[in-house]
Amino acid sequence: MEAAESRETQAREYLRKHRIPELLTYLTSSLLFFRPEHPRDYLITILERLRIAKLTGIAFPFYMDNSNIVSMFEMMDPSNRGTISFVQYKEALQTLGLCTPDEVLKDTGRSISLDNFRDEVNKRTEEIYATF
Amino acid sequence: MDATTAPHRIPAEMPQYGEANHIFELMQTMLEQLLIHQPEDPVSFMIKHLNRNNDNVPKIIILGPPASGKTTIAMWLCKHLNSNLLSMQNLIGRELQFMNPEMKRQYLRTKMIPSALLVRLIEDRLEEEDCIKRGWILDGIPETREQALTIQSQGIIPRHVVVLSALDTVLIERNLGKRVDPQTGEIYHTTFDWPPESDIQNRLVVPPGISEMETARKLLEYHRNIVRIIPSYPKILKVISADQPCVDVFYQALTYVQTHHRSNAPFTPRVLLCGPTGSGKSLQAALLAQKYSLVNVCCGQLLKEAVADKTQFGELIRPFFEKQMVVPDSLVVKVLTQRLDHQDSIQKGWVMHGFPRDQDQAHMLDTLGYEPNRVFFLNVPLDSIIERLTLRRTDPVTGERYHLLYKPPPTMEIQARLLQNPKDSEEQVKLKVDLFYRNSADLEQFYKQAITLNGDQDPYTVFEYVESGIINPLPKKVP
Repeated sequence: MEAAESRETQAREYLRKHRIPELLTYLTSSLLFFRPEHPRDYLITILERLRIAKLTGIAFPFYMDNSNIVSMFEMMDPSNRGTISFVQYKEALQTLGLCTPDEVLKDTGRSISLDNFRDEVNKRTEEIYATF
Repeated sequence: MDATTAPHRIPAEMPQYGEANHIFELMQTMLEQLLIHQPEDPVSFMIKHLNRNNDNVPKIIILGPPASGKTTIAMWLCKHLNSNLLSMQNLIGRELQFMNPEMKRQYLRTKMIPSALLVRLIEDRLEEEDCIKRGWILDGIPETREQALTIQSQGIIPRHVVVLSALDTVLIERNLGKRVDPQTGEIYHTTFDWPPESDIQNRLVVPPGISEMETARKLLEYHRNIVRIIPSYPKILKVISADQPCVDVFYQALTYVQTHHRSNAPFTPRVLLCGPTGSGKSLQAALLAQKYSLVNVCCGQLLKEAVADKTQFGELIRPFFEKQMVVPDSLVVKVLTQRLDHQDSIQKGWVMHGFPRDQDQAHMLDTLGYEPNRVFFLNVPLDSIIERLTLRRTDPVTGERYHLLYKPPPTMEIQARLLQNPKDSEEQVKLKVDLFYRNSADLEQFYKQAITLNGDQDPYTVFEYVESGIINPLPKKVP
């Protein structure tokens, strides 16, 4: 049983190191969003672009660009106070796939403003794509 | 986003697209391959894997005692599915000249080679182009648990495992009649499978090792090993009795390897029940709605509710009801779309009956985007329908509904005052059934993936058939 357990941990480590779950989530969400006629070819195109982006250093087209982040923030902040609560912030990061439910985020007690939110989302997205 | 204050509204096209293109299974196989091989550069690996496009090629293992007909079945399956056959003989045959002489001598003597070498041979063979493109069928490998485990740890996983079984006495007797054609390698039998052409007949030789003692010895060995191999393939195994004509065994094996297994993909059922009046559609729909929390969309009921609620549509529909005329399609469709657009029917799925009644209505339903993903036709013979419907009675005092055969009223007093609904008279029922059968051929052609069931059984049996039709993936078409 030792060998089986260590292979399992090895597999999990592999998944974490290469950020496979995030990549698969991204691929599945783009498939369902754009609904191309030939899903395989579309997937191949995205993966090729990703590979070229990594080689040549060109910025990879992010799924959520700036205007989307702003709209998301405004949806969570209907009264236009300019800040969102910590719970909302955590939920939003989870929805975007940028943090796992187990991850403990620092609750500084202050509310999160648009700039904080945007910076955090961008930072995490870059972290993920740097792996590819 | 806050899922609590504003619930997520996923557009209905997304799950439909996902189901139609089997996205879940696609991602699942890709992840499986990634985990098995764990390449350093996952992106290039995934590109290569997607380009191969071999998720659906056959990957079959056939196991069974000697004389059960494994090789015959394996060869026939190969020809039919256009795949590659791997057996101990043809794997070794290719390597025979490259093996060192000592191992060659050992092989020719005992017909066995060390497991490690066998697994390596299999691995190399499976890496070749034709196995990747057209799949593979392993005949009689693995023979021992050790081989099974080694194959598994190398990442070679079959999708279907067929185990042939028969009584030992049958097998020993059968083996005595085995004959082999030395040119093609095909196996014939003196009683069961004698070749028609006389030149093949003249060529046949008696293979070595088929005496009773030999067969009994091999059977003992087989029984010892197979018990340990079967647990390695829990959900993909099927046992077929080899004590029947070859053709029957072949067809059972063929149907099995062509079915998909139940997948974990998220699935909202959108079920359509079709059948003549009295076939049990409303009952099945009610059972389904109760068990799986689907929304029960009964066309007639919706229209009656609209009229009773005096809604905008109700006012338009009422004159048709009063004159006992059929409500026009456009109105019906409007009421239906209103119900099907509710958030709960999109999320939970629906079961519909009473609509569409002919091909035009079915077209309309499709173009609006409410395609069902499971369609059932309930077949009930006319006599049963008449029996079911004409014996219905209602008690005017309590409102209870009785059936003179299946749910008779308890006392004579009640029975005396029962009344029959004029719509349940024999002529009316015959009219309605005729109307259905006139349009059913078109409907069956339109819904090609429909499942036909025998509705002439008790309701819970029919319900079980419906359930298995919904839960199991739709059968693959034979190309």
